[in-house]
Amino acid sequence: MKITATQYAKSLYEVTREKTQSEIDGFVANFFKVLKKNNQLKLAGKIMEKFSAIHDAKNGIVEATVTSASKLDEKSLKEVEKFVAKKYEAKKVILKNVVKKEIKGGIILQVGDEMMDASVIRKISDLKAVLIR
Amino acid sequence: MSKDYIIEQLKKQIENFEAVATTEKVGTVVEVGDGVAKISGLSDAMASEMLEFPGGVYGVALNLEEGAVGAMILGKYEGIKEGDSVKSTGRILSVPVGDMMIGRVVNPLGEAIDGKGEITSDTYYPVEKVAPGVITRKSVSVPVQTGIKAIDAVIPVGRGQRELIIGDRQTGKTAVAIDAIINQKGEDLICVYVAIGQKESKVSRIVAELEKHGAMEHTIVVVAGASDPAALSFIAPYAGTAMAEYFMSKGKDVLIIHDDLSKHAWAYRQISLILRRPPGREAYPGDIFYLHSRLLERSARLNDDFGGGSITALPIIETQAGDVSAYIPTNVISITDGQIYLETDLFYKGIRPALNVGLSVSRVGSAAQTKAMKKVAGKLRLDLAQFRELEAFAQFGSDLDENTRRQIERGRRTVEILKQDQYEPMPMAQQVAVLYALTNGFIDDIDVEKVKAWENDFQKYMKSGGKAVLELIAEKKELSEEVVTVLEKAIKEFKEVYQNGK
Repeated sequence: MKITATQYAKSLYEVTREKTQSEIDGFVANFFKVLKKNNQLKLAGKIMEKFSAIHDAKNGIVEATVTSASKLDEKSLKEVEKFVAKKYEAKKVILKNVVKKEIKGGIILQVGDEMMDASVIRKISDLKAVLIR
Repeated sequence: MSKDYIIEQLKKQIENFEAVATTEKVGTVVEVGDGVAKISGLSDAMASEMLEFPGGVYGVALNLEEGAVGAMILGKYEGIKEGDSVKSTGRILSVPVGDMMIGRVVNPLGEAIDGKGEITSDTYYPVEKVAPGVITRKSVSVPVQTGIKAIDAVIPVGRGQRELIIGDRQTGKTAVAIDAIINQKGEDLICVYVAIGQKESKVSRIVAELEKHGAMEHTIVVVAGASDPAALSFIAPYAGTAMAEYFMSKGKDVLIIHDDLSKHAWAYRQISLILRRPPGREAYPGDIFYLHSRLLERSARLNDDFGGGSITALPIIETQAGDVSAYIPTNVISITDGQIYLETDLFYKGIRPALNVGLSVSRVGSAAQTKAMKKVAGKLRLDLAQFRELEAFAQFGSDLDENTRRQIERGRRTVEILKQDQYEPMPMAQQVAVLYALTNGFIDDIDVEKVKAWENDFQKYMKSGGKAVLELIAEKKELSEEVVTVLEKAIKEFKEVYQNGK
């Protein structure tokens, strides 16, 4: 059976958890040997992605993207961070602010594949749909 | 309506408008083409869940993979591009159902396409539903009167039966189905006509024909045209069945026609191949049998504890050059409770409907036939079988013994009587009357060429002078001695008038 990137990442995480740095170095070297033996070195990039996702999830780290029409100030970002931390019960929130003029105003908050759309453009299009009907 | 009033209304609407930001599951389109999109993310999507693409186009999740979802797009897919965000709706694909659907022409999503206004319903039925179980069913006992002599007599269809109509192109398959719908005028059957991948011109002609005969009053037409995406063709019969199931659950009887399932199989093959599911025989995917079996199994007759409703299905299959042993025809033949086999040769010989009585069967329908029809049909079937055996001899001409010649002559008249024009369905009583006359030798002294004219005059006579007899047959539904006496008397009277007149 083919082993997927997620399965590799999971097992690597399990093995390396709560181990010392020198031990981890050894494991990682072995891990790459296994990958080479299975002819799946090309998965390395994907495994790294998955590994960090698993690591984040286990340690309560949440990555969130905030899209806004203009750059948000420190205070608003703090508030968003607090909201995300509460909603996802995260210990640490890594917040990224993306500026997109098209949304006119408000914010769009995206965490993983969950999205909260509180942008002005969305409200306008919703209103349009209501009025057409 | 004044200007101020309109503005006032708009103000109100805008004031009442509330935008709530809720958490939604979103994914991004990775790949799109040929009506199918691959979407990353959407980790919680369910199988056959509706997904919303930008621009209000809906899609259905078909392939659920790790980190990606394969979805077919229901509607225009030209505007959808890579990187678009797709929202999940949490709803399984469903269609509006209800009494207001009757008389309408709709697309497979239940949206009106006849320009008679929007259809609103608060009842939705899922498009995919598990068929009624064994406990809820009952065997076929009430007939569906198609109004076609050859079918009602030789291959009867019962309510809740699945009877396949199979034949090459241009053999009158649709005509049989349309006649069956027209004959339900004033009866208690509700009809659903599902056009799958049909030419839009053909569908509009059919709808016009149904309207002309007043048959739209009890009919829903579901159209997935040839220009619509394959995804719509794929869900059309399921959507039609969902609409029929609503009436079945209300204890009513429904007749559903799938025209045709070969195109349905083609549409599904297209979607499956684009979704990279492995192809099998004739490039159809592995679940092509289940595709049709789960659809036709939903046509059933429920017992009285479950409302006693029924769905009768008349699926249509178009064969290529008479090849019934191709993949899809054999599949559907094995699923259905019999088939009506139409042939090109017979069609061009002028035998219309071009029914091959030898190859057509109805596995359960005879249980639903009325007693009167059963009595005449038994003899009719025997006459036809003997005629088929002797038909080859008939070409050698004269040196045949008396008995053989008589059987051949009877057979020729039987074939002649079973001919019937399109859009002229016939009530059961009239069918019984003419078939009784035939099987009891009352037509043997009429020239074969004149049989058709004789029948027309006979029907006219029965409708006026013999009305009481027809009513008696329709009421008793069996040929008791009393009925036979009056019927024979009527036939003899007519023959006297007819022969003296000419």
